Amino acid sequence: MKHFFSIGAFCLLLALAIPANADIARPKPSPSPAQSPQLPKMVLHTRLVVVPDNKAWEARLQITQSSLDELRAALGNTPGNDSTAQRIAHSTTRTIMAGVFMFLSLSFAGVWLARSMQTRSQKAIALMLFGVAVIGAAAMMTQANAGPPGSYYWKKLPQNLTKGAPTSGGVDIEIVPDGEVGSSGMKLILPIKPE
Amino acid sequence: MERTANIDMATWRADMAAPAANRQLNIRAFASILIACACGSAFFASWLPLQFSIVTVFLFAGPHNWFELRYFLSRLPVRFGRSRNFFITAFAGIGFLSATYIALPVLYSFSLLPDHLWPTILASWNSLLLLWIAVLIWLRGKNKVRRDWSWAFPVALGLAALNWLAPEFFSLEIVYLHPLVALWFLDRHLSRARPEWLRTYRRCLCLLPLVLGGMFWQLSRTAALPDDNGLFWRITQHAGAQLLPNVSSHALVTTHVFLEMLHYGVWLVALPLIAPLGRTKNAQSSSARAIWRVRAVPVARHPRGFPKLVLAALAFGVFLVAVLWFGFAVDYATTRDVYFTVAIAHVLAEAPFLLKML
Repeated sequence: MKHFFSIGAFCLLLALAIPANADIARPKPSPSPAQSPQLPKMVLHTRLVVVPDNKAWEARLQITQSSLDELRAALGNTPGNDSTAQRIAHSTTRTIMAGVFMFLSLSFAGVWLARSMQTRSQKAIALMLFGVAVIGAAAMMTQANAGPPGSYYWKKLPQNLTKGAPTSGGVDIEIVPDGEVGSSGMKLILPIKPE
Repeated sequence: MERTANIDMATWRADMAAPAANRQLNIRAFASILIACACGSAFFASWLPLQFSIVTVFLFAGPHNWFELRYFLSRLPVRFGRSRNFFITAFAGIGFLSATYIALPVLYSFSLLPDHLWPTILASWNSLLLLWIAVLIWLRGKNKVRRDWSWAFPVALGLAALNWLAPEFFSLEIVYLHPLVALWFLDRHLSRARPEWLRTYRRCLCLLPLVLGGMFWQLSRTAALPDDNGLFWRITQHAGAQLLPNVSSHALVTTHVFLEMLHYGVWLVALPLIAPLGRTKNAQSSSARAIWRVRAVPVARHPRGFPKLVLAALAFGVFLVAVLWFGFAVDYATTRDVYFTVAIAHVLAEAPFLLKML
């Protein structure tokens, strides 16, 4: 009888589970477009002039005000899809908090090591950890991300173009008044010295 | 005389060998059941992930919470003594963190805060959770002789730093790691109740990464699951489909359902049946029945205990399980959302009780 009751109760639960699989409307459109392969989307067609400049240290992309307005208008119809790295880079508060916690973590680790270990080498490791924490904090505060000048990366562009190989490097984007870049919408100034 | 002595020795050896053989047989049966359960769960989770997610949560979510409550009550001391600060911190943390976590979706639904603030709020809550766990570990270490568990602070602060970089991913980690905590509970429980099974259990645990890796390898290139209705969409989002758009939602949901099934299996089957939860007159034979006896709980059995309070807590738990089933039957999707929000309390409660077993 007990078994019959148990089986009956189980069947009742299963029967109740069936209507739970209700075909209700989703709350909003699917936010996972990246599950399907993303195709390049053209939002604006403009002209580009590439100019070498042997006096420049950094590549510059000059965009006229009117081209920027057109670009803005075109992007207004395109949904944003920031990557995680982009979202982190755009959130100053979160980056600062992460840095503070990392500094505290390394500092506490150094203090804990110094307290719990006795030998000189272990104390040196603890001191090193603390040093890394201080340097990390200083780097975070100064936001130091200096690297070689842009001309260093762009100087191989002619050879790469001949070989058909890609070249990557930093670029500063400038907004300039209309007419300053001639009839083109954009002008790319590259820090390359003529050979 | 020598022959008689030999006969006696043979009888003695046979008597000694019988329990050892039984023990070996029990261990083999235990290992076989573990592997069969893991493989069965992996098969069903891979086959119909969405359907099994619905059915397992419907059937087992509430009961497993009740069994956890029963287990925690059996682990609660009558007087806190030297662990007073530990338990005060534990209960205060569970209360505060649960209340704030439940308040978050309420605030979101009223649109009281701008959207860009939500990652910061989420990261703050995660940081508080990590610091609470660090304090608990430190307090637990203070109760142990010659143990300094201050390392918990740098570890927690390091994790907090990572959490601030991507708070959504940190929350997703909790979703996937929480089911595994049950396996740790079982490990600690076996070390006390059946230490001879512990080695076998740990060897079986080594198979878990292989099963997970195999499942992921098989499903990572499969098509995304259909999320064209509200319920399926919620399940895929819960498994992290939005945060990990380049991973097949089939693989994500399957992995989550598999881990949840293991979690429910440990709390509903393994822990109550493998070892008795409380002392009874004929301990092991009636271990399953002891679950229903209030007097089997030390806090209720002790002369200075609280039998009525324990009975009320367990009875209220049964009532909540019935309410949950009723809610699932009436509006599964909403009840599921509410359940997974409120269920943070049991996720938090596992931390101090696990630490007390270390």
